[in-house]
Amino acid sequence: MLYPADVYADARDAWSSLRRRAVRSSLSALGIAIGVVALVSMLSIGEGAKRATLQRISSLGIETVRIESAPPLNAFAGVDVTNLSVGLTVADAQRIAAWLAGRGTLGYFARNDEQLVTAANHRALATVVGASADWLPAETLRAAAGRLLLPSDNLQQRRVCVLGARLGITLAASIGTPLHTGNQICKVVGILRPRGRLLTEGTGLSALDFDNALITPFTTSPFPSGARQRGVHGMLVRLRNNSPASLPGVAENLKAILRETHRDVTNYRIVVPYALLNEARDTQALFQLVMGAIAGLSLLVGGIGVMNVMLSNVTEQTHEIGLRMAVGATRARIVSLYMCHSALLCFAGGVVGLMLGIAAALLVQTYAGWAVAFSLLGLCLGPASALLTGLVFGLHPALRAAALNPALALRES
Amino acid sequence: MLIQGDNLHREFEFAGKSITALATTSLAVTAGELLTLTGPSGSGKSTLLNLLSGLDRPSGGEVRFEDQPLNSFNDAQAAALRNRAFGFIFQTPHLLPYKTVVENVALPCSYGGIRDAQTIDERAHGLLEYVGLAEYATHYPRMLSAGELQRVVFARALINRPRVLFADEPTGSLDAENAHRVLSLLRQEAVAGKCVIMATHDAEAMRFATRRLNLDKFSHALPG
Ligand SMILES: Nc1ncnc2c1ncn2[C@@H]1O[C@H](COP(=O)(O)OP(=O)(O)OP(=O)(O)O)[C@@H](O)[C@H]1O
Ligand SMILES: [Mg+2]
Repeated sequence: MLYPADVYADARDAWSSLRRRAVRSSLSALGIAIGVVALVSMLSIGEGAKRATLQRISSLGIETVRIESAPPLNAFAGVDVTNLSVGLTVADAQRIAAWLAGRGTLGYFARNDEQLVTAANHRALATVVGASADWLPAETLRAAAGRLLLPSDNLQQRRVCVLGARLGITLAASIGTPLHTGNQICKVVGILRPRGRLLTEGTGLSALDFDNALITPFTTSPFPSGARQRGVHGMLVRLRNNSPASLPGVAENLKAILRETHRDVTNYRIVVPYALLNEARDTQALFQLVMGAIAGLSLLVGGIGVMNVMLSNVTEQTHEIGLRMAVGATRARIVSLYMCHSALLCFAGGVVGLMLGIAAALLVQTYAGWAVAFSLLGLCLGPASALLTGLVFGLHPALRAAALNPALALRES
Repeated sequence: MLIQGDNLHREFEFAGKSITALATTSLAVTAGELLTLTGPSGSGKSTLLNLLSGLDRPSGGEVRFEDQPLNSFNDAQAAALRNRAFGFIFQTPHLLPYKTVVENVALPCSYGGIRDAQTIDERAHGLLEYVGLAEYATHYPRMLSAGELQRVVFARALINRPRVLFADEPTGSLDAENAHRVLSLLRQEAVAGKCVIMATHDAEAMRFATRRLNLDKFSHALPG
């Protein structure tokens, strides 16, 4: 029967004994440390990628489908297809909205980047977005002051605008402030809460900084391809009370509608943010497999090294084992002593590996620009797997120590 | 009888041959006795001590402690017996190098007997004083001479107040003066009611005996 106090006493003795063989102990712990470095950096890079993906998806909206105009695909490269299809238009948007019926909302917009916006005493470069009234709630924009755009703003072509949070501050604008952009004047009716950038990296969508945007009614802003066609740059479909699983199906339907109206010219791009989750999962799985194999292999090799060192420790300490048995150590206590030995050795390696692993992950973040993140579980897993390695590979030497005949052990010098 | 061996013998298998380490021997010892085991080198003195103390198992015969056969003890019981009822002194003093003298004296307590840290500490210091090494308590073994180390071992053997002391040539590595000190201590323990069994071929040591047993490899040793 082993009591915690006994194991604690054994752990202390084991630690003293390890410190007496500092070089040998450190070298064998190093093998374990390397395994843990691989494990910890893999987990934190994996966690970072996962969080970045989730962040991107929540920025894009998990229950949305985004449609953006794009250059026509290869088949039409270099051919003028505008007589076949002019691109995304308000008519497309209306057709999709009709198909959606009550299942969701659709907002559409046209944008002009790097537009000079001036107030009485301030000026700024901003993205001017002409949007349908539904576009703002679909993008989960909320007013910090004033209001968002109303359908009537579009119908009556009111010269009003809503400002992104940072732009509002830059221009020192408040509700009612008149602003100039291009050759137009519009009056501020709302200032948005901070929403940040649209995280579009890796999706093919164009980026948009909501906080530096000036949003006016679509009907008052210049159209991308002339007033007659009423072209738009993009649309955003936000589904109501849907399950994400239905999103790909919705996207297929939208594609079918657009294929028809665009006469097979694929001059648009449909992105389902929810599907990015699976894509990210696939690329991550490969990375994790490779790094996991490296971590597992180095823990295995490290474990064998530890076992080797433990076997020679047991051989060297044969007399000590005999002595301990003579003064009353049971075999269980000898097993406990040597299990403590290898567990402490590996755990120490694991702690060092954890710190180096965190450092390695931070270096990767700084120099390779990959997102890394540390989860508590991931951080515990490193030292825990080192400890487990110690227990697994320490068992054989410990049992060997406990199987010694005390009389014979005492004869060894 | 405190401790008793009946028809004990021990053979070792080595390179296919059987080596007799101890020819059939019987003996019985009571409290207050100081029994010396003598005999030529290789006659099995150490082997007999190991059998009596349960560090080794006989090839034949039986050891009994207070009429309980040792071979009926399981590992934990045999360990507890060595821990609480037996004390050991070997020819070359062996201490754990990474523990201080007083921690070495207290080593058996980490395996049983008294558990209260303060009692252990008091008793260990008391024993160091008894063997005349009080001022070495916090030294490390490498700082002590062989004679001093052997007295530390003696103190360690007494920490759990054993009933039997096994000493295997305790004076083997000591000069006459140190040998005399250790022997006096052993004698004192016997007088105080412990049973002391000492293997030796030191004529001086034999003078401290209350009884002697001579092992002869080539004849059956008779009980004393
Ligand atoms: N493990 C072993 N394997 C083989 N032979 C052994 C073993 N242990 C002891 N012997 C043999 O048994 C015999 C008795 O050994 P033991 O150590 O008991 O003698 P001893 O009387 O204590 O001798 P000494 O006075 O030299 O210490 C010796 O001949 C020895 O070689
Ligand atoms: Mg001997």
